[in-house]
Amino acid sequence: MKPYVIIADATCDLSKEICLEHDIRIVKGIITLPDKTQVESPLEWDRFDRVGFYNDLKKNPDGYSTAPANVATFKKAFKDAIDEGKDVLCMTISGAISGAFGFATIAKKELESEVKDAKINLVDSLRFGPGFGLMVLYAAEKRADGKSLDETTAFIEENKNRFHQAGWLDDLSFVAKKGRLTHAKAFFGTLAGVKPIGEFDYNGLTTVLGKAKGAKAAYEVLLKYIEATIENPSEQIIVIAQTNRLAQAEAYKKMIEEKFSPKAVYINDVFPTNGVNVGPGLMAAYYVGKPISKDLSEEKALIEKFLG
Amino acid sequence: MSTKKINGIHLEKMIKNGLMNLSLHIDEINRLNVFPVPDGDTGTNMYLTLENGVNYASTAEEAGTYLRTLSDGMLLGARGNSGVILSQFFKGFSTALAKCTWVGPGELRNGLIRGYKTAYESVVHPVEGTILSVTREGIELIRSSITRNSSIENILSMYIAQMKKTLSYTPEMLSVLKEAGVVDSGASGFILIIEGMLKCLYGEFIEADVKLKKEQKTPMLNLSMFDENSEFSDGYCTEFILQRMNDPKYKQSFSKQRFINALKTAGNSLVVIEDGKRVKVHIHTLSPAKVIAYAQQYGEFLTFKMDNMQVQHNEHDRLVEKVHKPLSIIAVVSGEGTKELFSSLGADVVIDGGETMNTSSQEFVEAIGSLDSDHIVILPDNPNIILAAQQAVKLSGKDNITVLPTKSFAQGYFALAMDVPDSDDIEYRVSQMRSGIENIMTLSQTVASRDYSFHEISCKKGDEIALLNGEIVCVHSDFIKSITDAMKIIEDIDDKETCVIFRGKDTDETDADLLSQAISELYPMMDIEIISAGQKIYHWILGIS
Repeated sequence: MKPYVIIADATCDLSKEICLEHDIRIVKGIITLPDKTQVESPLEWDRFDRVGFYNDLKKNPDGYSTAPANVATFKKAFKDAIDEGKDVLCMTISGAISGAFGFATIAKKELESEVKDAKINLVDSLRFGPGFGLMVLYAAEKRADGKSLDETTAFIEENKNRFHQAGWLDDLSFVAKKGRLTHAKAFFGTLAGVKPIGEFDYNGLTTVLGKAKGAKAAYEVLLKYIEATIENPSEQIIVIAQTNRLAQAEAYKKMIEEKFSPKAVYINDVFPTNGVNVGPGLMAAYYVGKPISKDLSEEKALIEKFLG
Repeated sequence: MSTKKINGIHLEKMIKNGLMNLSLHIDEINRLNVFPVPDGDTGTNMYLTLENGVNYASTAEEAGTYLRTLSDGMLLGARGNSGVILSQFFKGFSTALAKCTWVGPGELRNGLIRGYKTAYESVVHPVEGTILSVTREGIELIRSSITRNSSIENILSMYIAQMKKTLSYTPEMLSVLKEAGVVDSGASGFILIIEGMLKCLYGEFIEADVKLKKEQKTPMLNLSMFDENSEFSDGYCTEFILQRMNDPKYKQSFSKQRFINALKTAGNSLVVIEDGKRVKVHIHTLSPAKVIAYAQQYGEFLTFKMDNMQVQHNEHDRLVEKVHKPLSIIAVVSGEGTKELFSSLGADVVIDGGETMNTSSQEFVEAIGSLDSDHIVILPDNPNIILAAQQAVKLSGKDNITVLPTKSFAQGYFALAMDVPDSDDIEYRVSQMRSGIENIMTLSQTVASRDYSFHEISCKKGDEIALLNGEIVCVHSDFIKSITDAMKIIEDIDDKETCVIFRGKDTDETDADLLSQAISELYPMMDIEIISAGQKIYHWILGIS
């Protein structure tokens, strides 16, 4: 079996250490800072520190912008792998919210016409952030289990609609502004003190299913929601994404461990590229469960019931 | 002027001018951006992409060499969807002209065709109603009019005119544009680039003029505001600079007054400025053809701009039109800043109740009458006007109105914040809003406006006072102390997890941070958020839940 590399764009939020451990390569986009400097999407807190970055983002939400890796960047990453004699599995952020998948597709097309026998499989993850990152980890796990490129690709394609998000976003204005929210027109402003509970829809946009007043109420609803949607929790790795609320993430982790006894729970940072697009208030768990219904009606009914 | 062919040096100047023209309109393009995602960065992305190409390109007489380096730079620097499509267009354009030193009409036509074809091929699922349609129709519908004798100016003018026509149809092709009432942003940006290129040929170099242009720029129009069924009574805003010509076939005897007298009959708002052999004209007219024919007796147009004023008019009407909604919200606030906050949270009518927030039933009835909704929720935000709101409901004769008894600004805020506009279940939305106001303690803080004494509390004018649910509970010389002391009185304060601080009109950020810090030290587990609300009278309002 020909070896293959797994390439993901930087919005998967997998840290440098995790990428090294699982041999995942990252293509980086660009983040433009308030002083107009452009830097490559960081996946570690070196240039920025977490607290400083998120505090500044809160004060200056329009000062930062991001752009995905372009065709040339994808092409170079593919070419490097091919020159090493390897095939490629490239996974990207949801095509509904970014051009990355389209750019990777052009790069693949160009390279396949230039290099005989180049094999590049592309997957639109239909997710962003650590939800996408978890999917990349599943792909790496399949590869480690000896699955071929096509087998791993098929597995991810078949199961990508089972990757759930159970969490809240304090400030919906970021996702609304960046086009990552269903019915974005309906949501503006900071929602201090209120926790909008969001799940991914079929295209990978975040949809608000309901709102809980305060974190305590939100945790209660979320745990019930996970219970109703998760499958085989004891065999799973669950990822918790946090922007700037480590203490809350740790509390959530403990609750999940006690209730579901999963294989592991990782707390994963949301690095600046995603941070700019989701804002400072993300607190969510990602796991694999039942397929998500097309119009989210089943998930919405569950949340409404639990908010009761 | 009539240019029959251009080389790499010309192209470099033209493209730089195109970039400058785009730079003047970046914000407008960003605002148009709703497809594929409304992230408002199309203008910026297109600018950065082209700018990278311009910086990367090498100056060369051979058009092919210049374009190849430009295209390479753009491919490398492509930002976002619009940037990638733009870079692919130039890739196709440069491929078609790879071997050319000079670009004539035929080559230009081939380049524009190859450009759009490459752009189409580059997109996985091409969507009509975007830059793709505009660049395709722009050339395909004029290609048969291009001959060996066509000038570059003429081709680009036809190309722009056709692209603008197609642009105006983009809302019909792409529903997301129609819904948002805009034309496609990427296509608009592309047209601006080509317009800048054409201007360069006419000697209008935008770089030197950036400041002036920035001040003069006019916002892009919403072209869907005028269609085959529209009435037309406002005419065209027509502006041009006429170059009087020496050729005897043009009239040579020119009198400004005679010119004015002749044009006066064709419209109004007429301005005529004479500068040597150039005449600048501005007029609002229903029949621009008459104006053009008259002016052209004397010379040719250096510049020409004509806008349909009905479009602007209709756009204005659209903005004040009633929009039908499943659920609308009426809320009462005090002060401009709070009005903005509540509007941004989704309140459809925000009544400024003034300092006393004493809104009358009549005002509520008027607000109800202004809405077209299946259901209305009223947030009085003051215990003294809940009855007035209920009275208004009776007066309106409607049975689809819920008055949520919000007794404070903070309660009104929580009700709004808990709404789930995403849901089409009105009952659920109202119950969410109702749950928002449960268990909210409102702590307000201000300076006493006079000496006061009631039960065991007394204060002097100028003292910092704190009120809990409307009653004075603490008096202190320090505002923070008055607030934290008041918090301690709240019975189950240790169980409260959220504190939203609304900053009043006369407070500053430093004080807000100090207050937040003091509360956080006392209640470290509490989630504290500060909102700059700008309310009058109360410097600080805290909603504690």
